[in-house]
Amino acid sequence: MANKKTFGGLKVREAMVLGIIVAMIILFSILSPTFRTYPTLVSVLDNSYYITLMALGVTFPLITGGVDLSIGTGLASYALIGGFLVVQKGMPIGIGLLACIGIGVLIGLFNGVLIAILDLPPFLATLCTCMITRGLGPALCGGFGVSWPSAVSSQGAFRNVFKFNSPSGTVIPIGIVSMLVLVAIMSFVLDHTRVGRYTIAIGSNKEATRLAGVNIKFYHVLAYVISGFFAGLAGIAYASTYATIYPGSGAGFELDAIGGAIVGGVSASGGVGTILGSFLGVIVICLMKVGLPFIGLQANWQQIFTGIVLIVAVLIDVVKKKK
Amino acid sequence: MKKKALAILLGAAMVLSMTACGGGSSSEAPKSDAGSAAGTSSAAEASAAPEASSGAAEASAAPEASSGAAEASSTEGGNKGYNFQMIVKSFQSTYWQAAIQGVEQAKAELGVEVEANGPATESDIADQVQMLDNAIEKKPDGIALAACDTNSVLDSLAKAQQAGIPVVCFDTGVADAPEGSVYATVATDNTAAGAVAAENMFPVIEEKIKAATADAKVRIGEINQDATALNIQQRGQGFINKMKELCEGAGKKVAVVGNEFYVNATENAAAEAEAEVIIEVGVPAQTTPEQCSTEAQKIMSKEDTIAIFGSNQTSAEGVIGANQTLNKLSTDPAQGIIGAGFDAGTPQKEAITNGQFIGAVTQSPLMMGYEAVVTLAKICDGETVADVPMDGYWYTAETMGDENIAPNLYD
Repeated sequence: MANKKTFGGLKVREAMVLGIIVAMIILFSILSPTFRTYPTLVSVLDNSYYITLMALGVTFPLITGGVDLSIGTGLASYALIGGFLVVQKGMPIGIGLLACIGIGVLIGLFNGVLIAILDLPPFLATLCTCMITRGLGPALCGGFGVSWPSAVSSQGAFRNVFKFNSPSGTVIPIGIVSMLVLVAIMSFVLDHTRVGRYTIAIGSNKEATRLAGVNIKFYHVLAYVISGFFAGLAGIAYASTYATIYPGSGAGFELDAIGGAIVGGVSASGGVGTILGSFLGVIVICLMKVGLPFIGLQANWQQIFTGIVLIVAVLIDVVKKKK
Repeated sequence: MKKKALAILLGAAMVLSMTACGGGSSSEAPKSDAGSAAGTSSAAEASAAPEASSGAAEASAAPEASSGAAEASSTEGGNKGYNFQMIVKSFQSTYWQAAIQGVEQAKAELGVEVEANGPATESDIADQVQMLDNAIEKKPDGIALAACDTNSVLDSLAKAQQAGIPVVCFDTGVADAPEGSVYATVATDNTAAGAVAAENMFPVIEEKIKAATADAKVRIGEINQDATALNIQQRGQGFINKMKELCEGAGKKVAVVGNEFYVNATENAAAEAEAEVIIEVGVPAQTTPEQCSTEAQKIMSKEDTIAIFGSNQTSAEGVIGANQTLNKLSTDPAQGIIGAGFDAGTPQKEAITNGQFIGAVTQSPLMMGYEAVVTLAKICDGETVADVPMDGYWYTAETMGDENIAPNLYD
């Protein structure tokens, strides 16, 4: 187990991922002069918000030994419905944002009930809700895309939480502050509260946890509700940074988040993982997404490369377990 | 064991049924009223001899006075009563919303019924083929098709031909369609439309291009959403070829770099080292705005970039997204990078009004939808029809309100 503390409070895996991040930044900076500029940094961060939020949430189902595949299409669906209420139905922005999170929580609850109470395999259950959410947004919104209000309008002011345009024209990636705060909060939840400890316990040994008198169904459902909640938040983050939501989009987003969590040391078989690790893993994924085009790698090679990195990350886990 | 097998079976059934629902549900809203379509079934049966049925069917299919265009139904031939099926690529972008608007107009004017359907996204090729087959099963008087993948629909087109159902392709032509199955194609000439963007961009950056040398190159970016769809390929290549031709006319050598497809598709390009002008083509790994934005940012961060073109709504929004962090776009070549887009959508229209883009090329989705239905009606009337080529129009902040432009600029 990688639970011994080293490197100034970081776990071995976290320190390793941090090292990879530094190495990638150095490598990309050497290979591409345009990479080492302020706007690129902003772009990496912009890219990271919605994936980070998804990853914070999906870490919980992953640690229980499950998975949540519905967060990607869910994100797009929630943002589509929220935006539709505001732009097409003229509702106040608060309702749109609440709808985004609310539907996310409901879908999370639905996932949790299917998995923890009706005993559906997590992969299958969330694959189904992935399809449901993919159709849900377009079905409720007439099938068309929606552009959230621009950041300068009063309706779109919420977007400044993630991306602040200073009067001088410089963009300040202020969203990273919120991300770090959320990472701290969720780390605390995972490591120091009953919710977190039972989530880990379910992933390590579900039967023993149940015999210890824990209401495992409740905490198992809760893991998916947390995942759904953060998918809703991720929808807001995506709308803030990219404005236009296309119906039927979002498929594949979940893989960036799950991939990030796995790179960050969340075990694919459950029981192991940290929030900070997931966050750092997401940064690795985002650096690849932004950096690989900058060093001139064309689209198809970017995907091949990302796949290989994930294999290496999982292999490290497998080898470590065998020791 | 048995229980497990049953569970897996049930699970599979569930997955299947959901896929089926998912495809259909997304297109529910733009459909014409299901109830009203039933009224025209008598006309549909007579599809083999449509001329004969046009007189008999008028009573059953009075045009719906819905879209405010009811007065148009009083014009000549307002009660044709045909029943058409329409398959669009998806309802993903608002582009198709404008096309449906045109269809509504034609419905009201001609007094025909049109049922529109489309898959959840433009890459759901198999779903679309299924929808096309279902449409053929319904034995309509005609089918209007915007194919997601031009090869996958060939079998279905042969089926339609056997059933005697005329097909009109719109938005995208099907080059290899079985002889006689497609009666006409209503589509933008994408090569020409891409060239329109180059023609309008060139005068703005002409001075900079003339000043370029092999040691002080200038770079023109192009973001294409993919390298697989025919219309994007043609549009992207249309821009590259026209821009190359114009630059060569100014005595400069042009190199094309970036995505392999477009590099290989360009003939007689100069080597990068000796060229004075470089056209760099960015294609994202996925067709999402944030990946287009990364590609755009990659090109716009380079010191020698003087202009950039996004060849559809998603990639143009990618350019705008990249500019939110870079702040480099300007309509004045001395101040920054010249940007141009394609199609419309709120972010792009805003970019043109507030001086980030010099302009964009719009197609006429509204007219395409309209013409597709009109052409089908003509076929049923027994007229001979020909392909209807649609133009790409250049629009700027000044011409956005013009009456032949404005209706095509969807939000």
